[in-house]
Amino acid sequence: MNNTLLSLTIAILFGIGTFLILRRDIVKVIIGLSIISHAVNMLIVSSGVFAGTKPPIITDDGGHGASETTGTIFTDVLSENILAPITTAGHSVNYVDPLVQALVLTAIVISLATTAFILILAYRIYEEYGTTDIKELRRLWG
Amino acid sequence: MNIVMQHLPIILIATPILMAALMILLRSKPRFQKDLNVTVSFLLTILSALLLLQVWNSGIQAYGVGEWGKYGIILVADLLSAGMVFLTTCISFLSLIYSLDYIEKRSLNSTYYPLFNLLLAGLNGSFLTGDIFNLFVFFELLLLSSCGLVIANEHGGVTRISDKMEATFKYLVLNMLGAFIMLIAVASLYATTGTLNMADISVKLSAMSAAGTMPWHVFAIALMFIVVFGNKAAIFPLHYWLPDVHPSAPSPISAMLSGVLINVGAYGMIRVFFLIFRDTLYIFQPVIIYLALATIIIGAISAVAQTDVKRLLAYSSVGQIGYVFLGIGLGGMYAITAALVYLVNHAVAKSMLFLSSGGIIHHAGTRDMRKMGGMVDSAPLLASMFLVGTMSIAGLPPTGGFIAKFLLFDAGISEKYYFEIGIALFFAVFTLFYMFRAWLLMFWGEKRDVEKYGEYSSHKASSLIVIPIIMLASAVLIFGLFAEPLISLATATAGQILDPQPYIQAALTEVVR
Repeated sequence: MNNTLLSLTIAILFGIGTFLILRRDIVKVIIGLSIISHAVNMLIVSSGVFAGTKPPIITDDGGHGASETTGTIFTDVLSENILAPITTAGHSVNYVDPLVQALVLTAIVISLATTAFILILAYRIYEEYGTTDIKELRRLWG
Repeated sequence: MNIVMQHLPIILIATPILMAALMILLRSKPRFQKDLNVTVSFLLTILSALLLLQVWNSGIQAYGVGEWGKYGIILVADLLSAGMVFLTTCISFLSLIYSLDYIEKRSLNSTYYPLFNLLLAGLNGSFLTGDIFNLFVFFELLLLSSCGLVIANEHGGVTRISDKMEATFKYLVLNMLGAFIMLIAVASLYATTGTLNMADISVKLSAMSAAGTMPWHVFAIALMFIVVFGNKAAIFPLHYWLPDVHPSAPSPISAMLSGVLINVGAYGMIRVFFLIFRDTLYIFQPVIIYLALATIIIGAISAVAQTDVKRLLAYSSVGQIGYVFLGIGLGGMYAITAALVYLVNHAVAKSMLFLSSGGIIHHAGTRDMRKMGGMVDSAPLLASMFLVGTMSIAGLPPTGGFIAKFLLFDAGISEKYYFEIGIALFFAVFTLFYMFRAWLLMFWGEKRDVEKYGEYSSHKASSLIVIPIIMLASAVLIFGLFAEPLISLATATAGQILDPQPYIQAALTEVVR
């Protein structure tokens, strides 16, 4: 149910963004771009694993709630070619994938920078052309 | 020296980023800023040559940033990456020297150096990285820095600032959309395989394919990557931004964009399709081939009708990158070799042509070829250099372009793609026509527009402008006369591309320093 709602939200955001990008106003195009970027960010988050309210941290108790000691290795031993986490047989480590959140943070920062740049560009275009209508920007046509 | 050799891949990326920050701080000392940047750029060229040598001698180098092994970001230098980095640093060094005299002083001191360094960092990073999300990050880095550079002011003001804004807006919107599509593809790939390391994805996908459980949406992801890299390299349905953006940029930046930046698309296509999506290639090979053919046709036909010299060169870039993608699409060992040789020759020749077109534009004071003419008397050096580039793009001996075209067509015929090679060959004749038409219009014939013309009206071409052009032109001739070293390097590279096991081995083995 949760995932269906999320997918639906992403789909609607993509739709709105695409609609806005096809408008003639530069500012609407930029708003459309940033809406699409939010849709993409949500898509990245949804590509990670959801597991209820579990935090994206591997806790020492080998999962959430269970407190028995397991043979799980949490730190790297590079000289022995051990890369954490390694769980012993019969136990599993339950945690939410933290990588997608790191990816989303990167993507948000990048789209922030790009949007700032494109907004300034739109303002300068308005200064040069005196309009924000894309159809008027046709000096390079031909 | 030893420590430098050990950390070569990260040095090639970190130094330009560091330089970009330093250049902003040093903007009150223009002389020191210039000397420092040229020195460091030259050192980077030498370092990238060392990296290529190292890879050639001792195999593929993997560098784990932060020593997280395959879970962290790794940089992998195989022959393809190292060769591309070497090409990039060489062309960017020459473009930097050229732009010292070509770009307006105020723009040069404030924003040009930092952005140029960031562009170099983005290019080196996207060639060297072994992590697919990191590839996206470097793509964005080079996108934003190249947008800033397209707007940079040149001497003489031959391109109106409003044209640059319009072109940049188009470029930015399309490439942002490309970046979003790439993010979707990367996220889906991550959801499918649970890793972002390209070598690891490759292992997992081929295991899935061997077990017959490859999910169908892998094909959709592969298609998305064709869109992404096609957008970067200006392949047929997504080519229309390039002829606006590349001519609007100042000439050294046009040279960087047309010579190096579209190689990123070709590189990404080779890397992603021959490493990750090896098992989907049987479906996408025809797609790539026919898109490449459409690109060749569109580029050639559009270039014939152009009157603006830089716009003509930009359309020619569209056509020529089509030939590179044709080689990639044919996909055999010989065809990939041919595509790589073509890539290098096109990069060198096209950046040389753009650099000399900058000299020509300043000489004539206009970009319209119909208003030029008879310049062979007043600018004999530029005329001969432009002729060398023209011959290379048209594919005439003794230039590198002849070798590249010969190899490509020979590869296609030996793999029995007669129809495709026939079309490519037919439109190669168009190339000959439009390049020589441009040369004849500009340099032969009568002087036109006499009162404005022939006095170096806006800016005199100094040795800083002439030397990079001569060096690139001699490289074009050397690639034509002594093609053997380049061909053997390309053959070895193609061998590595088609057999990715050593790459995977190197990338997945833990390196402890």
